[in-house]
Amino acid sequence: MTNESGRHAADHGAGSTSRRRRLRQRVRTTVPRLSRFAVEHLLLLPLGALIALVWVNTAPESYYRFSFATSFAVNDVAMMLFFALMTKEVVEATAPGGVLHPWRRAMLPVVASIGATAVPAFIFVRLVDVLDEPILSFGWPVSLATDLALSCFVARLIFWPHPMIPFLLLLGIASDALGFLTLAFFNPMREVHLASGALILAGALGIAAGLRRWRVRSFWPYLLGAGSVSWFGLFRSGLHPALALVPIMPFLPHAARDPGFFVDALPDARDTLSQFEIWWRYPAQVALFFFGLVNAGVPLGALEEGTLGLPIAVIVGKPLGLLVGAGLALLGGLHLPHRVGWRELIVGGLIAAMGFSVGLFFCGALLPPGQLRAEMSMGVLLSLAGAPLAIVSARLLRVGRFRTRPGE
Amino acid sequence: MINARGEFPFDLVIMLGDNMYGSQQPADFVKKFEQPYAPLLSAGVTFQASLGNHDRPENVFYKPFNMNGERYYTFARKNVRFFALDSTRMDPRQVAWIETSLQNAREDWKICYFHHPLYSNASRHGSSVDLRVLLEPIFVKHGVNVVLSGHDHVYERLKPQKGIFYFVSGSAGQLRKGNLRPTDQTDAYFDQDQSFMLLEISGTELHFQAISRAGKTVDSGVIRAVGAGR
Repeated sequence: MTNESGRHAADHGAGSTSRRRRLRQRVRTTVPRLSRFAVEHLLLLPLGALIALVWVNTAPESYYRFSFATSFAVNDVAMMLFFALMTKEVVEATAPGGVLHPWRRAMLPVVASIGATAVPAFIFVRLVDVLDEPILSFGWPVSLATDLALSCFVARLIFWPHPMIPFLLLLGIASDALGFLTLAFFNPMREVHLASGALILAGALGIAAGLRRWRVRSFWPYLLGAGSVSWFGLFRSGLHPALALVPIMPFLPHAARDPGFFVDALPDARDTLSQFEIWWRYPAQVALFFFGLVNAGVPLGALEEGTLGLPIAVIVGKPLGLLVGAGLALLGGLHLPHRVGWRELIVGGLIAAMGFSVGLFFCGALLPPGQLRAEMSMGVLLSLAGAPLAIVSARLLRVGRFRTRPGE
Repeated sequence: MINARGEFPFDLVIMLGDNMYGSQQPADFVKKFEQPYAPLLSAGVTFQASLGNHDRPENVFYKPFNMNGERYYTFARKNVRFFALDSTRMDPRQVAWIETSLQNAREDWKICYFHHPLYSNASRHGSSVDLRVLLEPIFVKHGVNVVLSGHDHVYERLKPQKGIFYFVSGSAGQLRKGNLRPTDQTDAYFDQDQSFMLLEISGTELHFQAISRAGKTVDSGVIRAVGAGR
């Protein structure tokens, strides 16, 4: 009897484990992959932003006391994780199979990004003058921002599978890189000590290079050693210290092939870069939640007509600028990817108009508290209209999933 | 203002921002400022401006505004130290300057003026609470007596907040009629017509008067400086 019941108990335990495994597999195949991506990558930032909007418009004094007290810890320290993980995607993309491999693939989107950034910036500066708030022109670098994760999600909704997706991602990377460079040169808020900061940063890079040379596999020395020195170097130089891990990430040993852009590392991945992502993936989402909470609190009473300057400039300017930039690239002898034409570029420009996380970051880095930051931050939130506009225009222009098949 | 000057010959005008709307080309400065204020300018009245969100940044170089190319600056008239601030871009450098300048001021009166009100009960904009959290502790610490602001197109005198008297005087140029929703912070208000303020400081007393476009006094009173020279 005992053997029977023992065998039954063992069978029952093995059976329930197997049932749980089958259930997990069923969930994974049933819940669309994009929905999982959205849940794991996109929800916490909007949630933090929504709470911030409600809080600041109902109890502004407590909101600002909280926001001012925590902004340094969130924007200058915790956001390092977010930018580190974005850099991780770019670093892996340089590996075989990645969108940046070989590097010549990046040339067309980089040239196109010149148009996709210059045109909206120009429109923005002219538009805020027309809207009678010329002082907002100080925020022009915000028009360069593209939220990579959100763009990736919307692009996959419309184009999957399509060469437009890596094109858009490269465009977003190039645009954001241009934006960070302009922040460095046009950031009026911090004291600048470029020479000493550069020296410290060089030290950080030396540490990272040494760790790589000595084949250090754990990411902790890179993070705590090179990363902390890099943070002090950027802080000292007057550049934004949230970018401290960006120059360090390329030194972390990574897999031989790119698993895919915004494809999460497998739990059993052994390379240092993947281990970093596995460890910090969810803390980075928590950092994004607090980032939204600290930065997206916009009092509605602060808004004036100039608030519309940014969303109009990016929604009109990015598609137009992308067409101009692509035209420049073609004149220079480069070629558009297969199946990418002017219709796809228009839809892609609307997708790239969404600044969200990077846009809010630029607002906080560039503008002090007050009406300017409030109006520009709301402009960033309004630029999310790029998503529904992209979907509608894709439908109208019969692009991506909406493309007319032969015979239809 | 010209009529009021007939009885009270003021020699200083402080401007609370949004000094001009629309086009701000050189010809506009003549049409929108120099011509309307010609009698005051020719009488030698000095205008000391601060900038608002509708002003062009380069207006700091416009000579009649007497900003000398600075977004924020300070000047003294007898026992009064004025601080003109740029509330549209309250960056850390300006905040540090405010703290140091207030600390070094030895005059009996410290009057700050800038565009965005820290306290306002107008519906359209209301209080700039972010600036209040940033600036009020500094003002209280260094004994600021009076703060004058614009932005909301009404007149409001608030009850002293932590010992500081706040005025919103934003209806000299444009008016938002009926826009003010008085609260228990409001001591007096007027939102039915354009208005401007007259201030006279005598020793430790500040006499104020809010006068409507029709010449009617809509508010008046006396403020006494507490802790002079703090």
